[in-house]
Amino acid sequence: MIQARFPIVARDELAPGTVLLRLRAPALARAARAGQFVHVRCGDSHDPLLRRPISLHRVGVAGADRGGLQPDEVALLLQVVGRGSAWLAQRRLGDELDVLGPLGRGFRPEPKAGHLLLVGGGLGVAPLVMLADEAVRAGLAVTLAMGTRTAAGVFPARLLPEEVEYAVATEDGSLGQKGLVTDLLPALLPWSDQVFACGPWPMLRALRRLLQLTPAKRAQVSLEERMGCGVGVCYGCVVETRHGRRRVCHDGPVFNLDDVVL
Amino acid sequence: MILPPNLSVELAPNHKQGLPLRNPVLTASGTFGYGTEYAALADCQRLGAIICKGTTLEPREGNPQPRLHETAAGLLNSIGLQNIGVRAVVAEKARIWAGWQVPVLVNIAGETVDEFARLAETLDGVPGVAGVEVNISCPNVDAGYVAFGARPETAAAVTRAVVQATDLPVMVKLSPNAPDVVEVARAVEAAGAHSLSLINTILGMAIDLRRRRPVFARATAGLSGPAVKPIALRLVYEVAQAVRVPVVGIGGIATTEDALEFLMAGATAVQVGTASFANPRAAADVVDGLAAFLLREGLQDIHDIIGVALPGRVPEGGLT
Ligand SMILES: Cc1cc2nc3c(=O)[nH]c(=O)nc-3n(C[C@H](O)[C@H](O)[C@H](O)COP(=O)(O)OP(=O)(O)OC[C@H]3O[C@@H](n4cnc5c(N)ncnc54)[C@H](O)[C@@H]3O)c2cc1C
Ligand SMILES: Cc1cc2nc3c(=O)[nH]c(=O)nc-3n(C[C@H](O)[C@H](O)[C@H](O)COP(=O)(O)O)c2cc1C
Ligand code: FES
Repeated sequence: MIQARFPIVARDELAPGTVLLRLRAPALARAARAGQFVHVRCGDSHDPLLRRPISLHRVGVAGADRGGLQPDEVALLLQVVGRGSAWLAQRRLGDELDVLGPLGRGFRPEPKAGHLLLVGGGLGVAPLVMLADEAVRAGLAVTLAMGTRTAAGVFPARLLPEEVEYAVATEDGSLGQKGLVTDLLPALLPWSDQVFACGPWPMLRALRRLLQLTPAKRAQVSLEERMGCGVGVCYGCVVETRHGRRRVCHDGPVFNLDDVVL
Repeated sequence: MILPPNLSVELAPNHKQGLPLRNPVLTASGTFGYGTEYAALADCQRLGAIICKGTTLEPREGNPQPRLHETAAGLLNSIGLQNIGVRAVVAEKARIWAGWQVPVLVNIAGETVDEFARLAETLDGVPGVAGVEVNISCPNVDAGYVAFGARPETAAAVTRAVVQATDLPVMVKLSPNAPDVVEVARAVEAAGAHSLSLINTILGMAIDLRRRRPVFARATAGLSGPAVKPIALRLVYEVAQAVRVPVVGIGGIATTEDALEFLMAGATAVQVGTASFANPRAAADVVDGLAAFLLREGLQDIHDIIGVALPGRVPEGGLT
């Protein structure tokens, strides 16, 4: 875990209110694992008081195409929903972000899993792209299923490693299949060895219902909860699990879907 | 040659071993875990002391979500004392603390006077435990869930029971939600507390406009952070004039300047709480900042500023 200020070296508005930031952050890039997050200060004053948790979206690696990311760079994918995220989205090239991380326990692919199915709802795709990057590099087959309301929210295919099979659903049918991301899964699940998901609770519930039909299939999900410290000291971010209330920042954000009380 | 200024303070002068600290900066309960979580980031051995998460006899699951709500420069929390329980603290955490330079105090919380006494007894003589801080803001099950700290009599009863149950130095943490905090402070001192700390969080609330309901299931929650500092400072100033035991100031302290205000208002030491979330090094920064302040002001000892703003004290070196 480190706390440092890292400069913004690239800023891309993927859609209105969705911003891709690249930081030059060698120490962070070295330590980061897919599914972990950083806790970012949103201003220099006491207001807003708390940092905001943001997933590690991507890390640059020499010799690997990661949407143009250079080695030592870390990418964050942001959606503006309130004051903190708005402040972050307004930063310019050269501005520095005060970042604490990498934090939490990331995705844990099983050693024998050869084909990973990644399921992203909306901005839930953010941490899955890093998992896709790492899995492709490890020679695994990766399918990414993503669902959003409209085409504008779909993660651009051009930024994904070309080895990734990409399936898209939009609620209004403006891109890919019309419907929810979980509607894509019956066709994709049989081929996958392990499932990784991040998205809103209704999506996770639908995923669990689908997986109950194929009990052998194991799934890990990345959860969100409001955070204070981000490092496990305040007990602000707990979720209900079969083993009791667990801290998203410390015991997660990635949990076994079976353990989560949805 | 300029000697580095002396930052050390004594937080239990009436206790046989005392509670000497190398500097007057502590971390507040519930905001620094067990001291281990931030170890990679902030050199916690440099702090005056660490106060661990509120500890109960049995492990507790705490309250359901939501637990946190940010307000203007403040934080409302309703954690409900989720913690691993005193046995795990003794078995897992104290073992680590025993190898540390920095003293660790265990913050204890009970629902009956007897629970407080049993907690203090369990911690008595445990290597790695330098003292207890008694959280009397907890609801008293035997008295209709009114907090022990709301009344002088119940606050004194808890204090007496804890002091009798352990040979450790006992710091009693006052609630700002008592109708008369100064009366509670006097009663707790008379009951044998070696020092007082204040404030715990202030009861507040927030409304969820969409649901048209209070944000928190219990409606109210505890407010902390910079938003509470002026209130905390006023209470420290009042209590410091009413008691002789050391007073430890808590509430919204994020910077050296904040800490200096509390020290000048009569606090012998301070605790940094919510500020650690935004800046895990906040407490360590205050240690450095206090030393730098004394040097700059040509003062040799932190005691040269403690209480200088109290009525009847002639400020030394200050602008007149
Ligand atoms: C582990 C983790 C990873 C995350 N990764 C990303 C990421 O990669 N990119 C990204 O854009 N966001 C991510 N988020 C979400 C992000 O942290 C929040 O959107 C951000 O904290 C909102 O801050 P704000 O100040 O913009 O909004 P606020 O002003 O704090 O809130 C705006 C509105 O959203 C509501 N709200 C926000 N967050 C929550 C929540 N968790 N539960 C309930 N209501 C909520 C508030 O009540 C309010 O109505 C992640 C969250 C977690 C826990
Ligand atoms: C998330 C959180 C958890 C807390 N837990 C405890 C606790 O377990 N026991 C206790 O005595 N005080 C607890 N407190 C209160 C703090 O120790 C402190 O008294 C209060 O927050 C005011 O200081 P601050 O403004 O610097 O945070 C907690 C505060 C916060 C924000
Ligand atoms: S945010 Fe503090 S414990 Fe998770």
